[in-house]
Amino acid sequence: MTVSLIAGQVLSGLTTAMFLFLIASGLSLVFGVMRVLNFAHGSFYMIGAYLAWQVVSWLQPMGADFWIAALAAGAGVAVLGAIVERLLLRHLYGLEELYQLLLTYALVLILGDVAKYTWGTEQLSVHRPPILDGGVPVLGTTLPLYNLFIMLVGPAIAIGGGLLLSRSSAGRMLRAAAQDREMLGALGANVGALYTFMFIISSFLAGLAGALITPIESVVPGMDVQIIVQAFIVVVIGGLGSFWGTFWGAVIYGLTLSFGILAFPEFSLFSVFLLMAVVLIVRPWGLFGRPIR
Amino acid sequence: MQFRHVLTALVLGLVLPTAARAEDTIKIGFPIPLSGPTAVYGQPILKGAELAVADINAKGGVLGRKLELLPRDSKANPAEAVRLARELIVKNGVEFLGGTLTSAEAPAVSTIAKENNIVFVAPSAKTSSLTDPAHIHPYIFRAASNTTIEGQSGAIVMSKFKDVKTVATIAPDYAYGHDAVAAFIAKLKELRPDITIVDQQWPQLGEANFSSFITAQMSKHPDAVFCDEFAGDFVSFVKQATPLGYFKAIDNRLVDGGEVGSVDITRTLGSAFPVGIWANTYDPVIWDGPNQPKEDITFDEKVEKAIGTKYGSSWAIQGYVTIAAIAQGIAKAGTTDSAKVAAALAGMTYQTPLGPRSFNATNHDADAGEFWGVMVMDPKYPYAVIKDPTYYNPAPPAGG
Repeated sequence: MTVSLIAGQVLSGLTTAMFLFLIASGLSLVFGVMRVLNFAHGSFYMIGAYLAWQVVSWLQPMGADFWIAALAAGAGVAVLGAIVERLLLRHLYGLEELYQLLLTYALVLILGDVAKYTWGTEQLSVHRPPILDGGVPVLGTTLPLYNLFIMLVGPAIAIGGGLLLSRSSAGRMLRAAAQDREMLGALGANVGALYTFMFIISSFLAGLAGALITPIESVVPGMDVQIIVQAFIVVVIGGLGSFWGTFWGAVIYGLTLSFGILAFPEFSLFSVFLLMAVVLIVRPWGLFGRPIR
Repeated sequence: MQFRHVLTALVLGLVLPTAARAEDTIKIGFPIPLSGPTAVYGQPILKGAELAVADINAKGGVLGRKLELLPRDSKANPAEAVRLARELIVKNGVEFLGGTLTSAEAPAVSTIAKENNIVFVAPSAKTSSLTDPAHIHPYIFRAASNTTIEGQSGAIVMSKFKDVKTVATIAPDYAYGHDAVAAFIAKLKELRPDITIVDQQWPQLGEANFSSFITAQMSKHPDAVFCDEFAGDFVSFVKQATPLGYFKAIDNRLVDGGEVGSVDITRTLGSAFPVGIWANTYDPVIWDGPNQPKEDITFDEKVEKAIGTKYGSSWAIQGYVTIAAIAQGIAKAGTTDSAKVAAALAGMTYQTPLGPRSFNATNHDADAGEFWGVMVMDPKYPYAVIKDPTYYNPAPPAGG
């Protein structure tokens, strides 16, 4: 057990955690706070990744700008989210979650096919932005600059999201709506616009996460389904309704996975599912959630 | 309508199709992943199969009958593949089965083939359990290479690195990965008893985030690595391993048995491909060396046109070979009767654009090796290529 081994696993665990938090953050807003069961969140993430690849290839002749592509991807998915929320999801609030699950699962299948027809089945790859190439040596191991960047973006989103929820009036209303939607509407708040606004933010985060993942992972069909379960685990472990809970849930998940790989190399996933089971048994409302109802 | 008329219509309806069957096509069912992450290989394999059907039908078909391919999307799900196979047999009346992609689907469909006495040729599944003594039956044939050949080829390549003393492995955590690594380790012990295995990592199939596996493996400081990651997993693995200094630490002494020398992968990674590693493929397509068979050049051009992407795919050949083998088996047997075709295929040599191959008489595995070589960036070509692709086939068929 050398220092460099521990440092390496901690850093790679934090990398995993922050990448997971990027996508889980949007889900935390939609599922954790709004209590909308959006299974298609992973599909938004995937569309974001494909859009980023597309914009990068369009910009190729003029010198591809990754950052423009990332923001464009986030914006594109935000528009998609607005359409989905306005036309489809808003009819299902207040009904059983099962309806939301069915509708969003249908969206998963539809968006998956749309992606397949548009971009084909080949795995796609986006290059790292040149200023974030390379790495820094840390305690005997190397930390890639891009991973460091993500490790800074994660907390930035957490802080921003946390402030949005706790300090802004929109955030206050959102938390109120999560407790009693009808009463909030009766008090004169425009609940419909509020939910649309929050869904747009959540979709933007999903799209942005998809774009930011492309220098690190291949863009493949199936990445939507692969990520959504992990994102839900992180939100549930962290606690529904708590943005920071999701952040710490992601950190714990990443580090557990990272050291689980050392402890049980052949059962690496077992360690995180064990973690989830333990958390849900001991604190069913998650680590930072509050027992509700 | 009078009952008599209904009865006549019914009888005619039953009799006429039967009378017409003699002029029918020979239907070959082809369930294979056409969506999801493995479609990246499923689609080109299907294209290769379609090209074979077109070629054979252009020459008049087999025994005077044209071939008809019935493709279905198995989604790489064994249960779905089984359901589709049953439907193809019962509802569509297929006389032969080809396809499935993964080492999970093929054994599942093999049991259906056995139940229904239908010849099934698998183009890409490598797991040894498909044709091992516990699972072999007269109707299953494998056109793919297998994990034994792959692991042993990897060991032969690895054994040539004289100054390597410690080796690590990283492979997907399912039958394919485990079988290939086991075969690799067994052969390596035989060739280089001085080498020790210092680390083994088993990420999930479809793993997106390899960071922690990579750092864990680097901490053991292996001299070289046998890697069996393939397709999108390999792409993600490379994108994460390179900035961590993984390839530099082992001086690019990585041997990958997952067909990452395929043009499909080199095209995706572009300049990010880790040159210097050893990789394999069924069909290099971009042949940076001597001895490319002329038939392969023609074939690759047809594939490029059919797929519409530059250089097409290294995987189409396996779809082509599957159909070609079935057709040649029918021709040799002189009938489409399954039992006779199965008997004809066992031990038969069949022609492919890359040369002759044959099915082992006992275990029905093709003696299919792959082309290996070191990956280089040749200024003639836009992507990394295999330098001087060499055919490795260390496990020639036993018996027959």
